Amino acid sequence: MITLTHFLIVGACLFSIGLYAVMARRNAIMVLVGIELMINAAVLNLVAFGRYDSEHYGGQAFALFAIVLAAASVAVALAIILNVYRHYKTINPEDINHLKD
Amino acid sequence: MIVNVIDLLPDISERLDHIIHSLPALAPELVLIATFVASILSGLFADRLWWHGTFAVTVIGILLSAVCSSFQVGNPDADGVLFGMVSTDAFGQYMRILVAVVCLLFALFVHASPDFRAHRKKTADLYTILLAVHIGLNLMALATNWLMTFIAIEMVSLGSYLMVGYLAAAPRQTEAAMKYVLFGAVCSAVMLYGMSLLYGFTGTLDYTSPQHIQGLNGTPSALVTLALLFVFTGIGFKLTFVPFHFWTPDVYQGAPTPVTAFLSTAPKIAGIALLANILYAWPADSFAYQNLQLMLAGAAIVTMLWGNLAALRQTDVKRMMAYSSIGHTGFLMMAVLAYSSQDYTALLYYLAVYSLMNMGVFMLTGYIESRTGAVDLARYDGLGKIMPLALVCFTLIMISLTGIPPTSGFVAKLLVFTAVFHSWQATGDISMVLLLIVGALTTVISLFYYFKIPLHAFLKTADSQPEMKPMRYSILWLAVVLTVAVWVLGVFPDWLVG
Repeated sequence: MITLTHFLIVGACLFSIGLYAVMARRNAIMVLVGIELMINAAVLNLVAFGRYDSEHYGGQAFALFAIVLAAASVAVALAIILNVYRHYKTINPEDINHLKD
Repeated sequence: MIVNVIDLLPDISERLDHIIHSLPALAPELVLIATFVASILSGLFADRLWWHGTFAVTVIGILLSAVCSSFQVGNPDADGVLFGMVSTDAFGQYMRILVAVVCLLFALFVHASPDFRAHRKKTADLYTILLAVHIGLNLMALATNWLMTFIAIEMVSLGSYLMVGYLAAAPRQTEAAMKYVLFGAVCSAVMLYGMSLLYGFTGTLDYTSPQHIQGLNGTPSALVTLALLFVFTGIGFKLTFVPFHFWTPDVYQGAPTPVTAFLSTAPKIAGIALLANILYAWPADSFAYQNLQLMLAGAAIVTMLWGNLAALRQTDVKRMMAYSSIGHTGFLMMAVLAYSSQDYTALLYYLAVYSLMNMGVFMLTGYIESRTGAVDLARYDGLGKIMPLALVCFTLIMISLTGIPPTSGFVAKLLVFTAVFHSWQATGDISMVLLLIVGALTTVISLFYYFKIPLHAFLKTADSQPEMKPMRYSILWLAVVLTVAVWVLGVFPDWLVG
């Protein structure tokens, strides 16, 4: 029997993996993948909780909006990363540090 | 099939009626949506005939939406609009007008900026992005629901990323855009996770509803704290308070100057309104409120100290102003914490004055940068003799930013300090005293970096004359108007407060 707890644990694992990918900062695309994992962890949570909200379906509606906005922000991020690559010939965030204290 | 739909939604006609009745309250946003579509069309067709076309459409649209908001100030809609997704109270209306003023100044700034004029992609798309961001900012200031909050913040963020990366002329600009988009996307993902947890604890997305507060009170306090911390990662990113400020100096320095001016003002206005809406939706004796107040008070103190101390050792003017704006965020948070339910005059006045001052400073920075190429403090040496009007205005705004009488910066700080003092007297809360002390201390610290500008411009002499590029004076005149406004509002604060 799969209960709410199972969904929450999978969500928490996804979130942690995503956060690790972001913190490792090897490559800008990998950071984006990490962000996507974190958003999907949240979406999973929302849908799982939404089962108990059969009056408004707030969780499901929120999940749909979150998916759409995640796609939009990835599109914008990829366009910006492409521009970075044209100037720097690398997309490793560690190497792109003209701006610093 | 149709019968089934009606069975599922027995009250569909009531719901449609409610939505239709809600529309007049959202007139400013509807005007902006219409302008958004019009600006796309004019960017495609009208700009070939008359290249001011999209600019004119944008300015007219923003003005119309501001007029719509100002008509609604008198008769706020007390009932929930769109099933309680947004609340259009008087506070929200003032915020809408303030955002409209900042967006208008930004449009004028872009129109006069030589970098954007010379850009091969033209500026039509930038105005379209601005209008979309304007809608997002309005919704952010009015939202009373986590879903609406998330959508509004994302709308503002996406537009801001595009604005920073719009020119992409120099490596630094693309770097700033990349840092901004990666940091921003991480913060909003964390915020989304926090919202999903809050939704799980309470079963509702409307954070003003009693059900939400009951749910929070019935949840273990450690979990609520964690979820609030996650949510405030996203809001903190928009507001740039410590510890979510790391992107600010890099992005402000790297972005085109008009965009920096916009980022340092408009999202902060909306973010502060959002913060106030969330904080005061919850009763003062609930655990969530006390927890949040403690977190915010701590963040405000650290933000004020960090922003002002780090600004002391900057040599790039835009970077220095970035840290200064972080310091002002701390001050604004103090104003939010101090305002008691109905009296938001101090907060509103501070926000208005802060926006005018920051817009003015960045217009002058942009003007000086375009004419002489000076971005570093060392290159400001002796500029006071070459560009007297610009540097005098710069100094006058710096006096106001520090908070020296008789400027509006002084009145704003005085109002906030008074509000904090009253709040301390009413509650005896020790954090208010700490806020007061740190606020006064950082005001003194800020004097030392703000006055570097007149020091370099008037008291030092340059080794060589900078090469002056010819340029139109429209930005300078705009900055002069803002300087005069900042000083006049300091002498007659009633004009704004009334």
